[in-house]
Amino acid sequence: MLVLTWLRGLVLHRRGRLVATTLGVAVAVALLASIGTFLSSTTSSMTERAAARVAVDWQVEAARGASPATVLSQVRREPGVQRALPVAFAETTGFQARSGGTVQHTGPGKVLGIPAGYAQAFPGQIRTLAGRQGGTGVLLAQQTAANLHAKPGDTVRIGRAGLPDAQVRVDAIVDLPQADQLFQKVGAPVGAQATAPPDNVVLLPAGTYQALEGPLVTRRPDLGRVQVHAKLSHALPGSPSAAYTQVSGHARNLETTLAGTGQIGDSLSVALDGARSDALYAQLLFLFLGLPGAVLAGLLTASVSSVGAGRRRRDAALLRTRGATTRQLVGVALAEAGLAGAVGIAVGLVAARIVGHQAFGTASFGAGPVAAIAWGAGSALVGMLIAAAAIAVPAWRDARGLTVVGQRRQLGRVDRAPWWQRYGIDVLCLIGAGLVFWQASTGGYQLVLAPEGVPQVSVNWYALLAPVLAWIGGGLLVHRLVDLVLARGRRPLARLLRPGAGALATTVTATMGRQRALLARAATLLALTAAFAGSTAVFNATYRQQAEADARLSNGSDVTVTESPGVSVGPSGARAISAVGGVRSVEPLQHRFAYVGADLQDLYGVRAATIEEAGALQNGWFAGGTASQLLDRIAQRPDSILVSAETVKDFQLRPGDLIRLRLQDGRTKAFRTVPFHYVGVAKEFPTAPKDSFFVANADYVAKATGSDAVGTFLVQTDGTNPATVGARLKAKLGTSAAVTDIVDERSVIGSNLTAVELKGLTRIELGFAFVLAAVASGLTLGLGFRERRRTFAIAAALGARSRQIGAFVWSEALFVTTTGVVLGAAMAYGLTRLLVKVLTGVFDPPPDYLSVPWLSLGASLVLVVVAVTAAGVVTIQALRRPAIEELRDL
Amino acid sequence: MSTVPLVRCAGAARTYGSGATATVALQPTDCAVLPGARTALMGPSGSGKSTLLHLMGGLDDPTRGTVEWPAIGTRAALRPGPVATVFQGPSLLPPLTVAENVALPLALVDVGPAEARDRALAALEQLGLTALADKLPDELSGGQAQRVAVARALIGAPVLILADEPTGQLDRFHGTLVVDALLHAAERTGAALVVATHDETVADRFDACWRMRDGLLSTEVARCSS
Ligand SMILES: Nc1ncnc2c1ncn2[C@@H]1O[C@H](COP(=O)(O)OP(=O)(O)O)[C@@H](O)[C@H]1O
Ligand SMILES: [Mg+2]
Repeated sequence: MLVLTWLRGLVLHRRGRLVATTLGVAVAVALLASIGTFLSSTTSSMTERAAARVAVDWQVEAARGASPATVLSQVRREPGVQRALPVAFAETTGFQARSGGTVQHTGPGKVLGIPAGYAQAFPGQIRTLAGRQGGTGVLLAQQTAANLHAKPGDTVRIGRAGLPDAQVRVDAIVDLPQADQLFQKVGAPVGAQATAPPDNVVLLPAGTYQALEGPLVTRRPDLGRVQVHAKLSHALPGSPSAAYTQVSGHARNLETTLAGTGQIGDSLSVALDGARSDALYAQLLFLFLGLPGAVLAGLLTASVSSVGAGRRRRDAALLRTRGATTRQLVGVALAEAGLAGAVGIAVGLVAARIVGHQAFGTASFGAGPVAAIAWGAGSALVGMLIAAAAIAVPAWRDARGLTVVGQRRQLGRVDRAPWWQRYGIDVLCLIGAGLVFWQASTGGYQLVLAPEGVPQVSVNWYALLAPVLAWIGGGLLVHRLVDLVLARGRRPLARLLRPGAGALATTVTATMGRQRALLARAATLLALTAAFAGSTAVFNATYRQQAEADARLSNGSDVTVTESPGVSVGPSGARAISAVGGVRSVEPLQHRFAYVGADLQDLYGVRAATIEEAGALQNGWFAGGTASQLLDRIAQRPDSILVSAETVKDFQLRPGDLIRLRLQDGRTKAFRTVPFHYVGVAKEFPTAPKDSFFVANADYVAKATGSDAVGTFLVQTDGTNPATVGARLKAKLGTSAAVTDIVDERSVIGSNLTAVELKGLTRIELGFAFVLAAVASGLTLGLGFRERRRTFAIAAALGARSRQIGAFVWSEALFVTTTGVVLGAAMAYGLTRLLVKVLTGVFDPPPDYLSVPWLSLGASLVLVVVAVTAAGVVTIQALRRPAIEELRDL
Repeated sequence: MSTVPLVRCAGAARTYGSGATATVALQPTDCAVLPGARTALMGPSGSGKSTLLHLMGGLDDPTRGTVEWPAIGTRAALRPGPVATVFQGPSLLPPLTVAENVALPLALVDVGPAEARDRALAALEQLGLTALADKLPDELSGGQAQRVAVARALIGAPVLILADEPTGQLDRFHGTLVVDALLHAAERTGAALVVATHDETVADRFDACWRMRDGLLSTEVARCSS
């Protein structure tokens, strides 16, 4: 009964704390639930994307002696299999073609027989570069075409062991983007896969294959095999982990059914396996970026609702005089916390739904019904905890130590420093964070360990300690510093405040010094909020910058024009491209193949003066110097060459060492030896493959090979959408070149970096950071002032003018805002560096520099200033004439 | 002694709220305080003493009639300086030490910190409070705090001191100390003194006694005890 009466009274007369706590709970719950929504939408899109990237989900290889037709019908009968087609593989001793006056040979290779409609059934497997479109007829792989100098219409001879060569006419040159999967050794463990797919491949229509290779396979069954390629329904569970479990389980199941007649190359599972670790990264990002926000919302709530603690203690003392027991007092507080929590949770969940709908177009809190309920319930639990911590815990503490005398002393004189300060916990935390950071900076560090094929993905939880320690240590250190300034630095502080506060400066600093517990708390909260907003914004901007760089890296530039094999265009070809609307600049990039020993690698000939800008080269892509330093070396010594780290290791290279490469001569088409000097390592390069390649001086390569043929043109747009420019170029160049644009690339790229779509998280986080910043600065200060209305009223009654009251108000506001923002910015910087380092793997390659979104940071600073100003103005306005109510209290 | 009044109320009245809930705290009142006058304002709780003092101190406006300060000037000139107020309850600024509290009115008129502190210490010495100079208000007893408030009221050399039940929350002994301090200071500086009280023994020590009942002031009675 007492509880109900009291609650009614609270709602009617002491609404402030109830509203503040409710809002705080709502913000925290909304933040957590929105992040749940974010995770659900990202992880399910990861599953989708991972699945979409796979051209052939399953390659079921018929065992030797087993009937491929039986395997095919069994696969087709399997539920969930949408399409299945047989593909035959045969070994060839090599290909041969005549071009110009010379005959080119290749080493051993593969001949495939594909049924009609294969290219349409498995889009993404065959990409036509030149010749007949549609993936029908005799298709020559691009690398093979390059090796043979063959173009559509040419005749190619196929070597057959023990039989005379067969002859086919090439209909098209094709790229096999997923050659790795296509030529996988089905049934072999992950480690035993060939390192590279075969270079020499020709694809024949099933009929032609049967006619030409049938006799070979009949004679030598060991040289042929048949696979059934299957496409599965991609209606998979949202979480990559669940999808992986389902698909791999299904595959094992089918293998059992096949009873030894077939083995499955499960590319879909492999892709989902990769997505699992991406999903884990998404969850880690949540931990790093989202959790601090929720904790901060809780701290702010506790801080805001602790305003007016004195008055509440008096209320409680009053209840006590009426005979209320401790249990009843705590009961009242619990009821209040329950009310604030329940309303806050409801508001927060509704807000999260709206946010989720706006940001991701999904209103579910989790990746499945179970996850959704877990997220909703988890957020609600946190909300209740916050409400309890903000209201019930202090009430309980008070109730135990409460005497009717009431209010405890709030202003200390020489209080003992808090225990954490005496033991230096802040410094210890920061040292700990530093140690973990240092450890992460040295080699061998990996945040997420996801060994391929192993169902378990493990996280280096130890590394997560670094940000946690940094947050705690940073916050406490800010508190210590602010406290120190207020306790020891009064003289300089008074001098700083004199221009504004005049003769009152000393009095103002004395006041501030004795309120230092309050001010240090306000400044710390503001610093934490600033650190949260700052680190989130910078991290997200850096992430986006890297995602962009990643997309550029694989596409090369905004739009990339790749000349078809057999087409030879010099640097002057850039002119035609420049003429297309929307093109700002065109950078020619030579693409050749070079033998180093028996190993064939890509070689890129660059114009040292312009490639750095045109290719947006990053220092992180190179070793042995910055991008500019290495390019300078290439410009100054034209025979300089950048090689891959692997090549350095294989050939024990030291800077300055001579490397002889065999490059094809443009006139004679024969390979000739060209000397280079090793000057540095290239780990990544626009359009280059992930493994090994060379970067050299284009002029030197042209002179050495007698050909200035350009393989690729990197096109920068003038701000026009790259997709638009790409379409224009495609229309203009036709089949003579392949045109790709970065917009396309962004949607297909499969690295960790872009797999986690951070845009939604960015928006949520920044939105919440803004709200928290306004609360931390304006509301905390404003309520602090309100709490001291009485003090200001006395000053006003003693004759203090608005300007003089202002000296008190503005000095505090300025001090708290400045220290909070400055120390918070420092914290944000440190935290972001730490996050980027600890989250290595999300950033691959690591960023050269942090990208700072000045606009949104500036906006949040403006918001803080506006909130603080509003709090000050409202306070001073209210005290212009001391309120009669205040006077009556005096 | 000059006959230009320090404060003069002409038909001044104060009503709180409006309509049905309106409370008439002060009926239309005519009164004046001359320089050097020592007046006790007697009346039961709720009779309008505080309301009248607030009007005389320029802390509140009458809803009808006028309040003027002919010997001082406009209301803006009242504080800090000529008019000082001692409030009923604790009115020291909690974060300031006793000396800083006493020096505050000087800081408000741009007296430098060193000089303000010296004068504050002198004022405290007058009242025998030197030992308390560096204590915080929380560390004082009620009587000590009230005497510090008196010291603060006196530091600006006021010509009119308004004290609203300064002894209301004190026992007799400490109450006497505070009244002593006020009277002694008024004696020394020649300031006029108006003290609201409902304690007859306090009132007895003043030259004049005004009585209030239900917002109605009568300035007729010469001696309080009669
Ligand atoms: N701010 C206010 N709002 C409403 N009524 C008030 C207010 N201040 C005083 N009163 C009423 O005016 C009357 C006179 O109050 P007051 O001047 O404080 O008397 P005293 O000081 O003699 O105790 C009382 O009835 C009181 O309730
Ligand atoms: Mg009163």
